Amino acid sequence: MNDKIMEVKGLNKAFGAVTATNDLSFGIDRGHVHALIGPNGAGKTTLVNQLTGDIFPDSGKIIYNSQDITRLKDYRRAHLGIARSFQITHIFENLTVGENMALSICAHSGHNFHFWRHSLRSGIVKEKLEGALGRVDLAHRRHLKASHLSHGEKRQLEVGMALTGDPELLILDEPMAGMGPGGTIELSKLIEKLKGTLTILLVEHDMDVVFSLADMVTVLVYGEAILTAPVDQVRKNRRVQQAYLGDGW
Amino acid sequence: MTSTLRKNSIVASGGLLLVILPILVSWSGHDYYISLFSRILIYGLAAVSLDLLLGFSGMISLGHAAYVGIGAYVVAIFFHHASEMEPLFTWPFVLEGSENGLLVLPLAVLISALFALVIGSLCLRTRGMHFIMITLAFAQMLYYFFVSLEKYGGDDGLSLYSRSSIPGMDLGNDIHFYYLCLGSLLVFIFVARRLVYSRFGLIVRGCSNNERRIRALGINSYSYRLALFVIAGAGAGLAGGLLANQTEYVSPGLMHWTLSGELMVMVLLGGLGTLFGPVLGAAVFLLVEENLAMYTEHWMVYMGPFLVLVVIFAKRGLFGLVAGGENGNE
Amino acid sequence: MLLVIEQFLNGLQLGITLFLMSAGLTLVFGIMQVINLAHGSFYMIGAYVGATVAAASGSFLLGVAAALPAAALCGMVVEFVVLRRLYEREHLDQVLATFGLIMFFNELTRIIWGRQPLFMEVPLWLGGSVELLPGLVYPVYRLAVIGVGLAVAVSLWALFAKTRLGMQIRAGGVNRKMVGALGVNIKLLYTLVFGLGTLLAGLAGVMAGPILAVESGMGESILILTFVVIVIGGIGSIRGAVAGAVLVGLVDTLGRAFLPAVFRMLFDSSTADSVASSLASMAIYILMAAVLVVKPKGLFPAHS
Repeated sequence: MNDKIMEVKGLNKAFGAVTATNDLSFGIDRGHVHALIGPNGAGKTTLVNQLTGDIFPDSGKIIYNSQDITRLKDYRRAHLGIARSFQITHIFENLTVGENMALSICAHSGHNFHFWRHSLRSGIVKEKLEGALGRVDLAHRRHLKASHLSHGEKRQLEVGMALTGDPELLILDEPMAGMGPGGTIELSKLIEKLKGTLTILLVEHDMDVVFSLADMVTVLVYGEAILTAPVDQVRKNRRVQQAYLGDGW
Repeated sequence: MTSTLRKNSIVASGGLLLVILPILVSWSGHDYYISLFSRILIYGLAAVSLDLLLGFSGMISLGHAAYVGIGAYVVAIFFHHASEMEPLFTWPFVLEGSENGLLVLPLAVLISALFALVIGSLCLRTRGMHFIMITLAFAQMLYYFFVSLEKYGGDDGLSLYSRSSIPGMDLGNDIHFYYLCLGSLLVFIFVARRLVYSRFGLIVRGCSNNERRIRALGINSYSYRLALFVIAGAGAGLAGGLLANQTEYVSPGLMHWTLSGELMVMVLLGGLGTLFGPVLGAAVFLLVEENLAMYTEHWMVYMGPFLVLVVIFAKRGLFGLVAGGENGNE
Repeated sequence: MLLVIEQFLNGLQLGITLFLMSAGLTLVFGIMQVINLAHGSFYMIGAYVGATVAAASGSFLLGVAAALPAAALCGMVVEFVVLRRLYEREHLDQVLATFGLIMFFNELTRIIWGRQPLFMEVPLWLGGSVELLPGLVYPVYRLAVIGVGLAVAVSLWALFAKTRLGMQIRAGGVNRKMVGALGVNIKLLYTLVFGLGTLLAGLAGVMAGPILAVESGMGESILILTFVVIVIGGIGSIRGAVAGAVLVGLVDTLGRAFLPAVFRMLFDSSTADSVASSLASMAIYILMAAVLVVKPKGLFPAHS
């Protein structure tokens, strides 16, 4: 099999006169933590939304496991093993923590036209719920409504939900955004733990996090990938420093 | 967990009250109340089915009365053809009219569900305000369709002369009919309860909160929402079939959007996202209408502002106030 | 052929009325993100106030002059007292509260004016007909309605495209906070936009007065047609409102006028009449469904 899990070739996306993605190409190696960095407005989230099928590019190709998925709908991509977390936490605030997790477990186990048996007592949920909650340390919170969780816990829950489908590629869109130092450490530990078991595309602002976790880095400026390189090289690259890191470096 | 206990005891005593109501009423001699409460149960059923959409899955349908009307017309049309001894149609097969409740009530459910399937499959292509307006527009379309349907009375509607027949029951007897309504309501609430907490229910409740996330999880939300729309339409169709029997009369007015609005009001008054609340809401709405109407023909001039106040200040509805607990977390 | 032109003009006149209604409503939808079922009530208020003042004073123009501020004022009061509290709320709350407002206004007009419909006279100077083409005689009043509607459409376009206020309104729809930060009083702006919308509804109502009966609940049938227009045109788009209104007006009018004749050519007369009349009354909804299948956001979506 190809050692690239995902390849992006010549991607373009414009919103009216604004070019959000400009002839963008890069590849993600299987098993790596691949970081996507860039200043505000560089088009990171727009790119992520194209990778997950939230929006479609104007031109270019997205190849996933040697398959062209450029025009594939978002939920179909999820079935292929692409999971994501959103920049703003997207959990189901009106459901309990357990129900949230059960929902994502159900999502990955065939159709859900099961109208009768209680969801938390259905076979597949019973089998997997405990482990899924444990993996993100939320077992003790299962009966709590998700809206009552702390910010960091919501993020943990979201990552946990993304993991229930055993994805091959996990896309984390600024997971540390809005989190206190404690939460950042917790989540870094979680990502560290996941490292090697699956491929992670990490969109992140916090350079300390990127440099401590990532294997490869792609730098995005004005919708263009100006560089894709191992993390050590990026640290030394002057262009990156100018474009992104500013004079502080 | 005490709030659960409190809620259960309130539901249980309310249910008990409904079961023994005919006895109480016949003691007091106000037989009229039996038929009023039958009406409350029927509207309660329609309101519960609407709440599946409004409260549990966030689909704001403003055309729910259409399915009530379809259900009612199914019963009425079959009855009409049975009494005229004239088949509904003769091609591709001969379909005779019928007064048999065991046939026409399930047909009312089925045909309403079918309409909900067709209309829902179009409406669910849209979101938000579009959805509200389109459900309303389709309901009005059916309204005008039946207004122009001269064969079945057009604007004047159809009279039934008697109720449907069910073996072992005398539906002409108001007490028998009351228990048929109560039974239908309880069965529907039971089914709805299973539904809401099933895997299917989990998905549709998730859609109400965050549809984008549902799709990111790999679920095509459209078919689940459509299935719920059909189930809600079926419930409304059952209510319609019963309503046609209760009043022994149907007219396009049953589909008018003001009725859809009133069903919404009942859901809101009782408590959005609860299964028993809408029944309470229907009771309050119809009793208030009945009693205010005795004092003033202009009762709506009070009801309107009251409704605005409830929306602005008492979002959880009456069931939420008496039973406690959180909205949408019955 | 002359009949076709006449019905075409009738359709245009219905379309103009629908445009006046939907222009105001689509602004409220698009800019404030609030769904207002009570828009038809302001149409009704315009018609009632106009009919009453015109009857009392004997002057149609005075009736119009009273109807417009009455509708605008009622609208602004409603915005200030009720809707302002609902901007941040869910659509469901907005639907229910404005449904309550409809109940209130309908019943209030019954209390004030009774259950009997009022009738409004066409003023003498707009009475009579003109011969547009040889053999085509058309009422002057209806032509005047079309003219007024076109004038309003042009002024609305000018307001939005050319003036500072229009720019602020458009910006307010895109980003509330930003416009607020730029020093525009957004609350006042919203109240004014709402008032403008209800003023247009009042204008539509008073102009419909001499054509239709003025009665309680008259706002709702026009409201639902207005919804169809907005769904077809696209929420928040004035251009869409123009296109949708003309389309709905023409399809409805021409369908009712000519479908029976078309069907009578195809089937025997009794079936033809019943099928044609049902189909004619459903024509605009079928049109709406067709548009939806092709463009779920309407013909001219405002923010795509």
